[in-house]
Amino acid sequence: MDLAETTPVFYLVNMFNPVYITSARATCAQDTFSNNDLPENIKVFEQNVLKYHEPDYKQYFTIMQLRRMTRIIKIGLVTAIEALKDAKLEQPQAIVTGSAKGSMTDTEKFLHDIVNFNEGTLNPTAFIQSTYNALNGLIALHHNANGYNSTYVHRGFSLENSLMDAIMLFKENRIENALIGCFEEMTAEHYELKKKMGYWKNEAIKNVDLLSSSTEGTIAGEGTFFFTLNEGPENAIAKLSGLRMLYNAGEALVKTTFNNFLAEHNLAPDDVDAVFLSYNGNSQTRHFEDAISQQFSPTTNQLVFKHLCGEFDTAAGFALWAAIKALQHQIIHPSLILKKGTSSTLKNVVIYNQYNGKEHSFYLLERI
Amino acid sequence: MFITGMGVISAIGSGVHETLVSLRNNVSGIGSIEIVDTLLRSKLIAGEIKVTNNKLVELTCVKKNAYYTRTSLLGIAALQEAMQMSKLNPSLQKTGFINATTVGGMSDMEKCYFDLVDPTTKSNENGLADCLDCADCTEKIADHFNIKDWIATISTACSSSANAILYGARLIKSGQLDVAVCGGTDALTRFTLNGFNSLKNIDPSPCMPFDGNRNGLNLGEAAAYVILESEEQLQRSGNTPISELSGYCNFNEAFHPTAPSPNGEGALQAMQTAIQMAGLSPNEVSYINAHGTATLNNDLSEGIALKRLFGENVPLFSSTKPFTGHTLAAAGAVEAVFSSLSLREQIMYANLNFQSPEPELGLYPVTSLQTDKPVTNVLSNSFGFGGNNASLLFSKYV
Repeated sequence: MDLAETTPVFYLVNMFNPVYITSARATCAQDTFSNNDLPENIKVFEQNVLKYHEPDYKQYFTIMQLRRMTRIIKIGLVTAIEALKDAKLEQPQAIVTGSAKGSMTDTEKFLHDIVNFNEGTLNPTAFIQSTYNALNGLIALHHNANGYNSTYVHRGFSLENSLMDAIMLFKENRIENALIGCFEEMTAEHYELKKKMGYWKNEAIKNVDLLSSSTEGTIAGEGTFFFTLNEGPENAIAKLSGLRMLYNAGEALVKTTFNNFLAEHNLAPDDVDAVFLSYNGNSQTRHFEDAISQQFSPTTNQLVFKHLCGEFDTAAGFALWAAIKALQHQIIHPSLILKKGTSSTLKNVVIYNQYNGKEHSFYLLERI
Repeated sequence: MFITGMGVISAIGSGVHETLVSLRNNVSGIGSIEIVDTLLRSKLIAGEIKVTNNKLVELTCVKKNAYYTRTSLLGIAALQEAMQMSKLNPSLQKTGFINATTVGGMSDMEKCYFDLVDPTTKSNENGLADCLDCADCTEKIADHFNIKDWIATISTACSSSANAILYGARLIKSGQLDVAVCGGTDALTRFTLNGFNSLKNIDPSPCMPFDGNRNGLNLGEAAAYVILESEEQLQRSGNTPISELSGYCNFNEAFHPTAPSPNGEGALQAMQTAIQMAGLSPNEVSYINAHGTATLNNDLSEGIALKRLFGENVPLFSSTKPFTGHTLAAAGAVEAVFSSLSLREQIMYANLNFQSPEPELGLYPVTSLQTDKPVTNVLSNSFGFGGNNASLLFSKYV
């Protein structure tokens, strides 16, 4: 029997009223934090790990406070604080974040402590900070934000589920605004674990040469991104009109789903002014991005980003931030351009991201 | 939103039947630690499932060429039962899997972590190196049952699977899904045993929720899942619901990184909103399956919230943690199964080990199995680190 007859393919019609983005903040390997934009000169890394360009925390916290905070908590708090400040939002009505790994530093520290101190009297700080919702709780505490609060920890679907959760909260009339974000860090030990799984390139490669690589694997990165969402268009800098996740699909289904996604929003490929593609230099998975890339004519600007921030579970956050910035300022930073398109205004921007060939996501953003 | 299938594995039994026998007979699953390799076994007790990983591999018939952590195996064992009960084929309607865990594959990773991160070794049995995070178990379980329309993992400490259940319900309501498979899985680990031990809130003896002399929690391990179907979907599946999920609430009280507020604000808001959502008044709640971890802070704060919400008429309540131990991310789903069973069987469970009430409150939980009172609405609480509170309300299907 034909498989198509026995297993109908369901249309997950993820249509929703657009939600408005009122601020977007990024902290990653590039200095995106100081001016909330990509810097003129892109940082070049010679090694296969793109580490955070860390903000100056002293402007936000006392030395005493900082001593108690682990790296990803500091970065997360500072990025969230700036996103809320930009949106002039003191107490978000919901805080939803995504992180595949949480604080790896603390998870590892506690694993070491258990052995080093023979399961004796251990300091609980690492254990507490290793919990995946620790940052969420601290942001709520810092902003005295009672209300809905959740943390999604599903690799390449972490940020996407956080956004979907907030979108539903708007639809349920539960909230008028929300803080959404994602955060990830890389450690030496975690790099080694992933190396054994074949995630990384064996040879050292410059990040700026990543996309012309023909070998397997990619380079590691880190990133934290926060966004404020609003139900209405006041003070919006962009709007999120579509979001779709697709799990464990082959290239053909990815392509069909992508075309359906555009069609549901009454868009033809030529209506897309810019598309972000998740190329990460991995020869094994690039056929996915190729398949999406081939849907577009020379009209559409084709953009890339993982050579700037490296690969990590929630790297889609970088593309979301960069897409919002592009729509807000109507400028595409030259470092993002893979193929320059003829479209000169930016109205519709689409993101296609895949993580490790298993979690695929599509975003549609529009100019205000 | 209706529950048409459920599955559970915990220290008091594999499957709903064994679980119910233990619950009816006041048989606790808390005892010595035999499977987890920890020095703390000489000092602590826990709700450990006395089924080895090899036995679980046999029971679940998983693939041989991939690494299944204990967390994944427990999850598959529990979900197997739920899927059989609801007789659903995930590919015949929009089906999602919303899972919850606090430490993912730590149970297996911690045994050989230092070997795995050593660049000079090649060790990585069947891809174990990729199993530390929370998503690994979710994907292994989803793939085992061929669920693919929506995949998510939630980690909000002890309220994780309560949040998974309410997220699944909302995905159905918003039209994204027809069926949501929701719950959580957490295996007992040296990591969490030491974590809670470092917080000094483990009682080395059987825990005593809501007791004036309580001295902390016992940890446990479990996996539990419920199958949620919309009313419309019920007509297609022909399933008869076991219970209805009639209300829910997630509320963060933003008080302290690990401790609940002394006035029980978060617990109060979560319970109150869940009851309001169901269109009920507090006096219509028949029974509360409390969070009741037996830590000094939780039970006082939760008790205060009960008094604030219900005044002098606090409904019958108990904590089932003395049966299973605190199963962390799985707790909300385990207790969703217990709550549904309470409605189906018209019983309320004993709060084991209770001797004398908290002097500040004078509240008495149910201390023996109740079989002669009608149970129509059951409130289930899950409160966690980070101020994350969630309450679910289950109602009798009529």
